[in-house]
Amino acid sequence: MDPSPVSPASPVVKRLDMKNNFDVIVIGAGHAGCEAAFAASRLGAHVGLCTLTTDTVAHMPCNPAIGGTAKGHLVREIDALGGLMGRAIDATGIQFKLLNRSRGPAVWSPRAQADKKAYGRWVKSALDAEPNIEWIIGRAGRIIVEHGRVSGLALEDGDAYGCRALVITTGTFLNGLIHIGPEQHPSGRAGEPPSRELAESLKSFGFEWGRLKTGTPPRLDRESIDFDRCVADGRFTVERGDTPPAPFSFLSGSIERDQTACYLLHTNDRVRDLVRANIDRSPLFNGQIRGIGPRYCPSLEDKIVRFPDKERHQIFLEPEGVDAREIYVNGFSMSLPRDVQADLVHALPGLEDAVLLRPGYAVEYDFIQPTELTRRLETKRVPGLFLAGQINGTSGYEEAAAQGLMAGANAASCASVGPGLELGRHEAYVGILVDDLITKGCLEPYRMFTSRAEHRLLLRIDNADLRLTSRGREAGLVDDFRWDKFRARQRRFSRNLEVLDTTLVRTATGDRVAASQLLRQPEIRLADLISQERLPDFELLASDSALDLASAETTVKYAGYLRRQEREIERAHKDERRRIPRDFPFERVPGLSREVVQRLTQVRPDTLGQALRIPGITPAAVAVLGAFVGRLAAASQ
Amino acid sequence: MPFSTQDTIVAIATPPGRGGIGVVRLSGAEALAVSSSLITHSGPLQPRHATFTRIVDGIDQVVVTYFPAPASYTGDDVVELSAHGSPVVLGAIVRAAIARGARPAEPGEFTLRAFLNGRIDLTQAEAVNDLIDASTPLQARAAFDQLDGTLTRAIAGLDAALFDVIARLEASVDFPEEGYHFVEPAELAQALDELLQRTAALLGDARRGRLIREGLQIAIVGEPNVGKSSLFNALAGASRAIVTDVPGTTRDLVTEVVDIEGLRVTLVDTAGLRDTSDPVEIEGVSRAHQVMAVADLILRVEDRSRARTAPVACKKHKVLYVANKSDLTPVWNDDRAVSVSAATGIGLDDLRHRIVSALDVELLRDRPAITNIRHVALVDRAHQALTRARAAALAEGGALSEEFVLADLSDARAAFEEISGRRAPGDLLEHIFAKFCIGK
Repeated sequence: MDPSPVSPASPVVKRLDMKNNFDVIVIGAGHAGCEAAFAASRLGAHVGLCTLTTDTVAHMPCNPAIGGTAKGHLVREIDALGGLMGRAIDATGIQFKLLNRSRGPAVWSPRAQADKKAYGRWVKSALDAEPNIEWIIGRAGRIIVEHGRVSGLALEDGDAYGCRALVITTGTFLNGLIHIGPEQHPSGRAGEPPSRELAESLKSFGFEWGRLKTGTPPRLDRESIDFDRCVADGRFTVERGDTPPAPFSFLSGSIERDQTACYLLHTNDRVRDLVRANIDRSPLFNGQIRGIGPRYCPSLEDKIVRFPDKERHQIFLEPEGVDAREIYVNGFSMSLPRDVQADLVHALPGLEDAVLLRPGYAVEYDFIQPTELTRRLETKRVPGLFLAGQINGTSGYEEAAAQGLMAGANAASCASVGPGLELGRHEAYVGILVDDLITKGCLEPYRMFTSRAEHRLLLRIDNADLRLTSRGREAGLVDDFRWDKFRARQRRFSRNLEVLDTTLVRTATGDRVAASQLLRQPEIRLADLISQERLPDFELLASDSALDLASAETTVKYAGYLRRQEREIERAHKDERRRIPRDFPFERVPGLSREVVQRLTQVRPDTLGQALRIPGITPAAVAVLGAFVGRLAAASQ
Repeated sequence: MPFSTQDTIVAIATPPGRGGIGVVRLSGAEALAVSSSLITHSGPLQPRHATFTRIVDGIDQVVVTYFPAPASYTGDDVVELSAHGSPVVLGAIVRAAIARGARPAEPGEFTLRAFLNGRIDLTQAEAVNDLIDASTPLQARAAFDQLDGTLTRAIAGLDAALFDVIARLEASVDFPEEGYHFVEPAELAQALDELLQRTAALLGDARRGRLIREGLQIAIVGEPNVGKSSLFNALAGASRAIVTDVPGTTRDLVTEVVDIEGLRVTLVDTAGLRDTSDPVEIEGVSRAHQVMAVADLILRVEDRSRARTAPVACKKHKVLYVANKSDLTPVWNDDRAVSVSAATGIGLDDLRHRIVSALDVELLRDRPAITNIRHVALVDRAHQALTRARAAALAEGGALSEEFVLADLSDARAAFEEISGRRAPGDLLEHIFAKFCIGK
């Protein structure tokens, strides 16, 4: 262990009278906090879940949807590892779509609109059903550190709780500041106060901080919009879900539920002119906001100003639930004053009489540079302190949930419950997420993309279970029910590959070849071979047929591509295996500039492979480092 | 690892160009073993003593000096071979060392080692510092890449074009609902074709570059007794081939390395091409055909003093027609043929000149010559990956979607990056967001 990595400036805390002792306390019950608490509880840890109110458990303060490109992959992986998110959305989704269906199976990504109230209720009851989880209702205040490691949490009202590991998942609550035109409210989310004392407590440890910005669009009253008429006269286009819907969870089977429609419309010249006329009143453009926002989710102001040549922008109207009044105006996030927001909404075709239930806003919040974290999402400065979600600079429910699961499993391990979990870039998007965060830090809110994966063809939604469920089982996260189902699916998968290799089928020209060989022809589809009864021994489970087909077909059809990516992984493994000792003195490596030493010391890469991914570290610097890692290790023996 | 600091490395240590003396330097644990196997001198090399010897395959005479670690320039075992300063000779020595296990040194790598081993301090190693700390890899390359600077620029241009294609395809995959056509199929085909043309041109240049270093092969062919061997001897400046007036005298191949206007050239004299029943001569004719298949240039020799027969077809090959025996009374004339007299030497200078221009090596002067074998292999890898990507993207009826095309394009890009340094993958998103308004 590092010799006293805690900053000497941190306050000395006298031992408080502990009301209750937990293995793990999780602060925040958003998507990260819920997965963290659930994972730790599943491992057998005694968990305290601290939140202001249980009314907003697993809340969706922005887009009422789960999944999307790469995010859908994350949800499948969370599910394969025994997490909550996949099952929660399958139970409460109101419209399901598989994105990229026209492309190959590696980039298929599920997305679903959620009934956001029902989603929160589902997750809360799943947590309530865990006997190991206790709710701590109150405002988290001070992190208690003794002998250089976390030992408890004091609430703002003075109550204190002991714990061996603490997971902080406070989203946008750290010094949150909401902007609506010139109005500014200190707040984490609409109507909820921010966490100041906790922020101060965290700051005392000397972490590197940054400030980010995100935003949300106005919500409209469903009753004030005549959807049918606007569809009939062409102002709106109906967007429907897939039939049948593809579930997120490997446990879900088929989803039998009526799906709700969404609507597509476009901005017009009037919207553009209004934004331009009022741009000085936008906190994003008049200097009021300094935090950095996500480029992949630009505000309306950004879209109009930065892309003046684009004539119109897509806007989606999305209901926030089956019976919810709120309509989410996707693509219309902004920080303009209330009156301008109303004018802008009314300028949209079909929304002339729409009623605003609440305005859109931009929110600035503090985050801790995730380069402060180890691969287990534990802070390097304070052992026992784990961070997950937006506090690490990410955006998105799925990114938060994935980190929550990892932090929860590792916090439990830190409290001597379970072995913990680390995933590599080659085996999961979750692994890529963690590695990117701890290696590169964040300059803008981090969102997952499939382009972040070096070996995308291997990281598919159809094989998330084949990649990860046994890892989850080793970590203690996968229960017997899921494990048995997975084992059956794994057996089916290998048997089906055998069937494809051993069954002879006739080609168009009359030759008899192995089915796997025929399947490599681009126009031949596995589903057709089966429906033509040419593969009588191929085993399909009705509920999982989509999965079984995709896994077998992809493995055979694209074998050449998959093999090539596997070989690349093996090559890269040489660097990934060369470990750098945990307290390696980078400053003693001659020739590295102060800046390079500083970066290396900050990130503390655990392998040469990771060192090579740190921005600004050249291959030559890593070559030098590699030479000295070996030399200093030999010298210290 | 990008490159190991344990390998034995080799490079020409003197500045490029022709000088009186050129030095080839080896550094690393195997430096002594590799150089000992390179030279005819058989005893042990005495540390820090100059030994006069020859390179085993007769490339040149050299003076060899062995500097054992740690008292050497790099701090490793170092061997320096001083030869005549011709790039051809020095290149051949480097290649011979590589064939025996050394690795071509990266630019600046000797200095890097000297620095790693504490032989030079930071101010001396300023260049190394640039390599380690340059804010962009390209800067680092530029700092060292005097030899290959034009190559680095060419690769950077290729990489930028490839990068744009990749970014557009990635955007198609990651933002399927934006209502954008990030790249049209025709646009993609054109971009890939352009990239392929450029890699092909680089590989072509590399081949010519190799020819310059390794020597070109020139086959002298023709019917019996037209004076092939006389021409051979005239160009070689020695009586290596047996010359008689009996047709079919040359039965096997005769070769000689000669210098033609600064180019290292292997001349091959062949048996006269004719139908014969003599089994030895049949074999000789067959060998002549084999040489013609691999030669870089064919000198098709004819006798101007005798009636012309139909010329031998030399498909796909560069052929230079030589009308020999111009000292005798000509019975035919052809402007395409170079008139020479091997017997008197008339026209030989003109022939030498025509040989050099026919070989097309002059073109290399201001073009990105790939001199590093590793770089050639990498450009070749990129070319193959681009070829696969094009096939996948544009297959009639069975085109694969973007993620497969991207798998090959990423491979091509990885090859370029290995040549010109690394680029953070985050740039990709930057590129997309700068070009397209994305996001709801």
